[in-house]
Amino acid sequence: MIDSREAFLQGVRHALGHGRQAGAGMDLPARGAVGKAGPVPDLVQRFCRQWNAAGGRAHVVRQRDVSDLVVQILTGRGSGSVLLNDDAMLGQLQLGHCLEAAGIPIIRAGAAAPEDWRSAYFGADAGISCADQLIAETGTAVITARRGEPRSVSLLPPLHIVVAARANLLADLFDLFEPGRWPDGLPSCVSLITGPSKTGDIELRLVTGVHGPGEIHAIIVDDIV
Amino acid sequence: MTDFARHEHHDFHGAASQALADRGLQAALVRLTDTLMAGNRRAYAELPDSDKLRDHAKRVKEHTLAHLDRYLEQLESSIKRLGGHVHWARTAREARDIIVSIAGQGRSKRAVKSKSMTSEEVALNPALEAAGVEVTETDFGELIIQLAGERPSHLIAPAVHHTRESIAGVLSSYRGRSLPDEPTALAAEGRTILRDRFYHADLGITGVNFAVAETGTVVLVTNEGNGRLTTTCPRVHVALMGMEKVIPRLEDLPVFLKLLARAATGQTLSVYTTLLTGPRRSGEVDGPEEFHLVVLDNGRSRLLGTPFRESLECIRCGACLNACPVYRRVGGHAYGGVYSGPIGSVLTPLYDSVSKHVALPHASSLCGACQAACPVKINIPHMLIGLRELAHQAQRPRVERLAYRAWMHLLRRPRLYEFAAWVARLVLRPLSRNGWVRRLPGPGGGWTASRDFPAPARLSFRERWSALKRKSSDEVTEHPST
Repeated sequence: MIDSREAFLQGVRHALGHGRQAGAGMDLPARGAVGKAGPVPDLVQRFCRQWNAAGGRAHVVRQRDVSDLVVQILTGRGSGSVLLNDDAMLGQLQLGHCLEAAGIPIIRAGAAAPEDWRSAYFGADAGISCADQLIAETGTAVITARRGEPRSVSLLPPLHIVVAARANLLADLFDLFEPGRWPDGLPSCVSLITGPSKTGDIELRLVTGVHGPGEIHAIIVDDIV
Repeated sequence: MTDFARHEHHDFHGAASQALADRGLQAALVRLTDTLMAGNRRAYAELPDSDKLRDHAKRVKEHTLAHLDRYLEQLESSIKRLGGHVHWARTAREARDIIVSIAGQGRSKRAVKSKSMTSEEVALNPALEAAGVEVTETDFGELIIQLAGERPSHLIAPAVHHTRESIAGVLSSYRGRSLPDEPTALAAEGRTILRDRFYHADLGITGVNFAVAETGTVVLVTNEGNGRLTTTCPRVHVALMGMEKVIPRLEDLPVFLKLLARAATGQTLSVYTTLLTGPRRSGEVDGPEEFHLVVLDNGRSRLLGTPFRESLECIRCGACLNACPVYRRVGGHAYGGVYSGPIGSVLTPLYDSVSKHVALPHASSLCGACQAACPVKINIPHMLIGLRELAHQAQRPRVERLAYRAWMHLLRRPRLYEFAAWVARLVLRPLSRNGWVRRLPGPGGGWTASRDFPAPARLSFRERWSALKRKSSDEVTEHPST
C-alpha cells in the first residue's frame, strides 16, 4: 500500500503547490469565546428544557429515590430483561439489587460477556447506563464505551434510562472538547445522545424509535457531587 | 472517466420539466424545504455569534485545506497508533477495489451501510454485490431508495420524493404483504427488517462527517441511530471519507457540530453524534474488532490549486438545497449527479466533467441564497459563474457563436447598429403584451421557452439623448442672462 499512499499524498502536495492558497500563511485561528453560550443561572433547568424539547424525559431526584423511579419507569414494560451497565455510580445506587427485588430480570453488562451476547442484548427491553457528562446547552447525554459499559446498552433496547450526577453538567458543547478534557485520550466510542431515535423520512412526519430507543429518560441525581 | 454521474449526458432541462409537472413532488419539495429552512433560520438566530462562528469555521477549513497533506498524514499515524488501518484511494475504482478486498479478507458476506454520499459517489454497492456481498442500506430513507432501485434526491432527506403511499407500496412488495400507509407502522416495519440485518451483518460501512487528525477519531452524525448500529454489531468497520473531511484538532469539532445540525435540520445537535477512536479495545464486548479508514481523492486534489478549492469546504448539510429557488422546484433527481442543488451544480461538473454537465452551472439564478444559508459561507454563485465560463469553452453552440459574431460586427458600425436596432424595435413591439415579450416566433422560440424580456422602448437612448440636447440648448438660448 506504500505506493498508492505516496502517489496519493504526492498528488495532494503537487496540487497545493499551485495557485493561491487562502489560509496557507496562517496558523489555526483561535476561536476565543465566539459561539459559546452565555452564563445560565440554572444548568439543570436549562438541560431539562433542552432534553424535553428533543423528545426526552428528564427527572431530577435525590439519591435515595433513584431506584424507585427506575422501577416505576420499568413497570409494565413487557417481560424482557433490563441491560444494566457495570458502572461505579449505578453500583453505588444499588440499582441491580433494587430491580431484582422488584422482580425485574437484569443482564449485567459487566459480567463476563456471554458467548452469544447478541441474542441477549438484542432481546432486552430496556437499557440503563450512566452519562459521563450532560450538556445543558444542547440537552445532550455523553455516554462512553468501556469495559463493562458496552455500546449496545444505550442503543439496542427500545427504552433507555441514563443516570447522571448534577456535578457532571457542562454548560456548553465547547466545554466537552476543550484541551485537557480527555487526558487519557478518547475511549473507543463516545456517543452524544440528544433525545430518542428519530426519522422524518416519511413525509417529514416525525417518528421515534426507528433504530435506537424510542423512549429515553434522563435521571439527574441532585445530591451526588 | 469516473462513474460519478451514471448518464453520459444528463438532460437537466428534460428532467426539470418532468419534475415541474409532478404535483406530488412539488408539494413534497415545498414542505421539506420550507420546514428545514425555517429551522435553519431559527437555529442560527438562537446560536450566539452564529455569523462569527461561521467565519471561524471557514477559516479552520481554509487552513486545513492549505495544509491538507500534513493533516492527512497526522490522521493516518493517529489511526495506526490505535490499531486501525488506513487506505488511500485516488479514484472511485481504487476505493471500490480496496473495500471489496477488505470484505474478501474478512470473508464478509453481509454488509450493513449507514447513509454515505461518498459511497454513492464511488458506486460501492454494485461492486460489493458483484463480489458476492449483500449490502443493506440502513437509513430508513436510503432503504426505501435501495428497494425501489433509485438514487437519493436530497443530501439529508434521500426519499423526499416519496409519499407515504409510495413508501407503503415499496415495503409491501418487498415483504410480500400489504402494509398500511401509516408512518409509525411503516417505520416499525423498517426497524424489524433492519434489526435482522444488523444482527447477522459481518461488515459495517459508513461515511465520515469529520475525522480528527490529532486523535484519529472518526465522527458520524445520524438521527436514527443506524450509524451507531453499523459500528456496534459487525466485526469489521470500514469508513469511507472524502479527503477534505479531516479537521485538525478535537477542539475544532464542536465548531462544526454546532453548525451542522442547525444548518441541516434546525436541531441544536442531531440525535446521535458518535466519536469512534480506533477499533474495540480489550475487555469490550461490542464494537468492531477491525477498523479501516479509506481516504478518497477522486478528483478532489485537482481542485486544490484552483479557485474551486472552496467547494472542498462543504460539510454536506443540505442547507443550500433548501434555500435554492431552483432546487425547490426541480428536486434532486433533475441534477443527474450524486450531489444535487447548488453545491451539486458545482461538484458534479468538477468531479465528473464540465462538458457532460453544461446545463448545471446555469441551473441557478445567482441570487446568493445558497451562500447565505451555508454554514461555512461557500461562495457558490462565484463558482457557478466560473463554471459557466468553463462550460462555455467546452461547448459553445454554433448559432450562439454566430449571433455574437454578428453582434460584434454591428457594434463596430454605429450607423448599421442604429438601423438594426430600429428594425428590432419595429419587429418586437407588435410581439409584446403589456410591455413584455414572452414568445418569439421561429428559432427565437427556443430562447423564450424559459425566458421573457421587456419590450423595447418606443425611442432608443440615442434618440432621446439628441432630443434632450436639442431641448436644453433651446432653453439656454431663451435665457441668455442665467
